[in-house]
Amino acid sequence: MSALNNPVIALVVSLIITVGYFVLVDHYLM
Amino acid sequence: MGLLVGKRIFSIVALCMMVGLLLLPVVVALPSLAIGEETHAGDAAKKDGDKVEKGRDVYYKTEGIVSGAPAPKTTDGVKDYPRYNFESRVLLWFANQQHLYYGSFVLAVPIFCMIIEFMGVVTKDKALAKRYDQLAYDFIKISLTAYSLTAILGGILIFTFLTLYPAFFSYLSGIFRPVMHIYALMFVAESGTLYIYYYGWDKMREGFLKWIHLSMSVVLNVIGTLLMFLANSWIGFMMSPAGVDEQGRYLGNIWHVIHTALWNPLNLHRILGNMAFGGGVVAAYAAYKFLASKTDEDRAHYDWMGYIAMALGVAFLIPLPFAGYWLMREVYAYRQQMGITLMGGLLAWLFIIQATMIGILFLSTNYYLWQAMGRMRGAEKYQRYIKYLVFLLACGYMVFITPHTMVMTPAELKAMGGQQHPVLGNYGVMSAKNGGINVIITTTVLSFVWYMRGNKVSTVSWAKFGNIFMGVFFGCAYFNIIFLAVYGYYIPANVRVGLSVPQVATTLSCLFFMFALNSFMMKGAKQMGPIEWGKISARSQYALIMLATAFTWMMGLMGYIRSSVRLFWHVNEIMRDNSPWAYTHTVGFAANMISANVLFFWITILFVFWLGSLTAKKVPVESKAGIPGSVPQPAPSH
Repeated sequence: MSALNNPVIALVVSLIITVGYFVLVDHYLM
Repeated sequence: MGLLVGKRIFSIVALCMMVGLLLLPVVVALPSLAIGEETHAGDAAKKDGDKVEKGRDVYYKTEGIVSGAPAPKTTDGVKDYPRYNFESRVLLWFANQQHLYYGSFVLAVPIFCMIIEFMGVVTKDKALAKRYDQLAYDFIKISLTAYSLTAILGGILIFTFLTLYPAFFSYLSGIFRPVMHIYALMFVAESGTLYIYYYGWDKMREGFLKWIHLSMSVVLNVIGTLLMFLANSWIGFMMSPAGVDEQGRYLGNIWHVIHTALWNPLNLHRILGNMAFGGGVVAAYAAYKFLASKTDEDRAHYDWMGYIAMALGVAFLIPLPFAGYWLMREVYAYRQQMGITLMGGLLAWLFIIQATMIGILFLSTNYYLWQAMGRMRGAEKYQRYIKYLVFLLACGYMVFITPHTMVMTPAELKAMGGQQHPVLGNYGVMSAKNGGINVIITTTVLSFVWYMRGNKVSTVSWAKFGNIFMGVFFGCAYFNIIFLAVYGYYIPANVRVGLSVPQVATTLSCLFFMFALNSFMMKGAKQMGPIEWGKISARSQYALIMLATAFTWMMGLMGYIRSSVRLFWHVNEIMRDNSPWAYTHTVGFAANMISANVLFFWITILFVFWLGSLTAKKVPVESKAGIPGSVPQPAPSH
């Protein structure tokens, strides 16, 4: 968990999850 | 012990009476519903030796036995349209709107009571539970006086219909004959339940009895909702008739008449609208009491009451535009021309006014939340970021209210180079407006999240990751909304509407996921300081009054739009309006009329509030102890 609190890692992981989520949602609903 | 058993028996008898009252209209209606209207008509025809005449349903396209007279072909005269020396339509408009304002208020408040009483029952903190109970009691006390006024206004409305539009009212009540008495009996059930619920509050304050009392509020709200659904079926029938043939003759299936194309969208839109409106009115009441308060203790109580009412109202305001989109989508599906009249024709400018009012609602809400952060220590850290939210809201708002085309003189037209401005004209289409309103709603969600964590610091081990994830999620959501809005410019208009679905999904994702994530992060959070209820600027209370007034005005506006889209029809394409007032009013006249209605409603509701304040009795007296006054106490929850 401490690695996740590293700002750079947190940013990269957040971006991967969030962008992936919105692409999937958009793709599915469109 | 004997007293407790007596109370329990009283409570159970009261609940059984309510359920009995609820079932009464159904039981009374069973004989006629079981036999069926078609059989009546068929039997009558057989007796006469006639051939049974069948008709084709204008909407469902099914065949049915003709069981009623055709819609009357009215003429402009005193027989069909008796009148005073005044426009009958304006009188009816006024009576209808006032009844609707009060009706929606007294339907919304018991739902609030149910939610707040439930929160009080399940809250572990005794002091907070008593405060919730006191609040629910305060709410129902306000609505009780308004309930009488609603019934009086309903009576005035019926007399107005009978006096000024007898042919129309006779036809409509004939079509809905099988359920008209059910509607009337529902009122008996609603009144009985409301009085038992209110006067039983004292006797049923503890344990099992409290659950019985809470169950009563559920019964009360079921009756209230059914009442509203029945009333909605009339306006649904007028806009999108079903269950009749093309002459307007009833075909014996009352469910078809009730369940028209627009009935369910209207039901959902009105439930949400009533709730948001009720929240606004109660918040305005609390703001008025806050501003008039003489003691810190009262100020704290009404500040808290205003916040709860506003939060509940806004919780229903956020999904309201989406329900509106569904309603409009169904209007377009039912009659494309009707949709075009609304959004791109005769009534389009009223929709620009509507967009302005929606923007004001969200701006007022955000402003109140930013001001409310002032009552908690630790929220200062968000103050410097508020200007960015203002920028986002302003951009979304300006796009949202940009009209597609302007009314211009030939010289202005020439100077601008056409009907549309070369730059601003791009923002006058639905693609941009969808983006605008979703940015506004997402920003409101962000303001709420900031408010909820204002005086707290998360202590979970992954707090840093959680904060970064939340920031990234909101950032990507804004990007996605704007990306989808831009995408809309590259595809034809008829498929562009499909992009609103992922936009809505993005906004709702922010709402549900970020609220949930925030709740997880704030579990066991360190408090920077207590919420000092009552320590809030007077400006915030004016924002609440603004919220309520804008809501009242918008309800009047949307009611007018929905009514006038029928143009010169009483019942769309079935019964023509041949009165001298079948034309559509100018935007200016309509706006003045709506303002007069709003002004009258607020003057009368202030009278209702004043009447309520005359009965100063407060039931759970001990709850006073739980209200934080001049000495700030920790508020365990929002």
